[in-house]
Amino acid sequence: MSPIGILLLFGAMAVPVVALACLRWAAKNGQLQNGDRGALLPFDLEEPLDKATDQILNRKSAKS
Amino acid sequence: MPGELADEGQRRAMLAEIDSSCRAPVLFFVISGLAWLLLGTLLALVTSIKLHSPGFLAGWDFLTFGRVRPAHLNAVIYGFASQTGIAVTIWLMCRLCRVPLISGGLIILAAIFWNVGLTIGLIGILAGDSTAIEWLELPGYSTPILFFSYALVAVWSIITFRLRRESHLYVSQWYLLGAILWFPWLYATAQIMLILEPVRGTVQAAINWWFAHNVLGLWFTPIGLAAIYYFIPKVIGRPIHSYYLSVLGFWSLALFYNWNGLHHLIGGPMPAWMITVSVVASVMMLIPVITVAINHHFTMVGHFGKLRYSPTLRFVVVGALCYTATSLQGVANSLRSYSEIVHFTHHTIAHAHLGLYGFFTMVMFGSLYYIIPRISGREWPSLGLISIHFWGCFLGLVLYVVPLSYGGILQGLAMNDATVPFMKVVEGTLPWLKLRTFAGLLMALGHVAFVGNLVWLLARVFGPYRKPVVAILSGTETPAIAGK
Repeated sequence: MSPIGILLLFGAMAVPVVALACLRWAAKNGQLQNGDRGALLPFDLEEPLDKATDQILNRKSAKS
Repeated sequence: MPGELADEGQRRAMLAEIDSSCRAPVLFFVISGLAWLLLGTLLALVTSIKLHSPGFLAGWDFLTFGRVRPAHLNAVIYGFASQTGIAVTIWLMCRLCRVPLISGGLIILAAIFWNVGLTIGLIGILAGDSTAIEWLELPGYSTPILFFSYALVAVWSIITFRLRRESHLYVSQWYLLGAILWFPWLYATAQIMLILEPVRGTVQAAINWWFAHNVLGLWFTPIGLAAIYYFIPKVIGRPIHSYYLSVLGFWSLALFYNWNGLHHLIGGPMPAWMITVSVVASVMMLIPVITVAINHHFTMVGHFGKLRYSPTLRFVVVGALCYTATSLQGVANSLRSYSEIVHFTHHTIAHAHLGLYGFFTMVMFGSLYYIIPRISGREWPSLGLISIHFWGCFLGLVLYVVPLSYGGILQGLAMNDATVPFMKVVEGTLPWLKLRTFAGLLMALGHVAFVGNLVWLLARVFGPYRKPVVAILSGTETPAIAGK
């Protein structure tokens, strides 16, 4: 097999191996548990939970 | 994590630092991406007109259909979609990892290389140097530059992920990391097997469609879904309906999508089992698609009224709906009985645009409406231009996809009827093709409105400094427009 063939074969095998390694890492590190914590990650102090953002088309009514 | 922030003041300062650190690299990718969008739109209009008026601009070699059409495709997928996707990825990674952008110069260098490589490639296509392999038409002398540029972005993304201050991952990060790792694998494999050391015979077609289908499903789709999972909760102020469902959606996409591409070769000279595996995997895609659709819908329940006031939400929700629609349409198209009718028709063109434009592009537009005011400290100057942008793109999309999907079915049925002369079939497509040009004009109007609004906003950024109005950041009403 040519070096490029070996490289492609290695690449094709590496993808599922990396995927399984990621899944194992996620399971071991609690990434697949505590969904409540995961779901709240987009929110922060400036844009917290229960605060709608980006309501800029409301400017029309605010101006009038 | 070692660098986790405990202090509240430190956290607030960090958020501002993250946004300002992203400004130059993200804007560079966005501005160049939108320049390619305008060029791609122009090329699309020329292509579309040629389909019903073949004599249009037929006097120049470089404007013949065989060159303009791949130039359009590559300008929009590698010029616009990939660059805005990278811009959104960079901002989301920094925000979710809670770290300011490191080595911004490296990202700008990557953007410069990407644009140089693409410019060389597009000139090559228009000059007649296309490889004639769909989605990989860029000549071989331009792609190493693109690959080098992409490698810089990928390495930066992984370093940023390693330096994250938040140990728990949000589902958007799973999708983004997946996209970052999948794309180089797809692109390198396809380049090697089709351009550098080409395989022979029908295997070429298999590799071609494995790549072309996966570049949509494993590059653009994860970035689009990452953005949807981030921006819908952000705008409405509520978390996603089910975090576990979202993770299931990611892993099932990772498991099934890679096998889908060969359903494009139904009826071709390929081993039947390969096609069958692809059809089965395509049907299995119902799992991630339905989990995503349920999650988005139940997250939005009770918040649809916010669509009136948020451009981000409008574009992103339309994009999410199109994701479900194009995925279900894709499942139908993969079935042998349905494929027999629609395979070589304009139905397929409508399906591709529903995916890349209706889903991905609309989500990217929505994301940019959210990101740009935050990194620039300025609000969008014109609400009217936002409306023109949305309605131009939305109506253009509907007028493009619905008639062409229907017309494609009629075209397929006519082609399968041996008593109908082929020219009659071609003439039957003309009304749909003319409607397609009109739809393209509406989309072009939307794009020009968006770029005009962005130029106006940037003119204010580089003008005399005025304190930013906080309406966008807080979501509250404001009596003034920034910069006035």
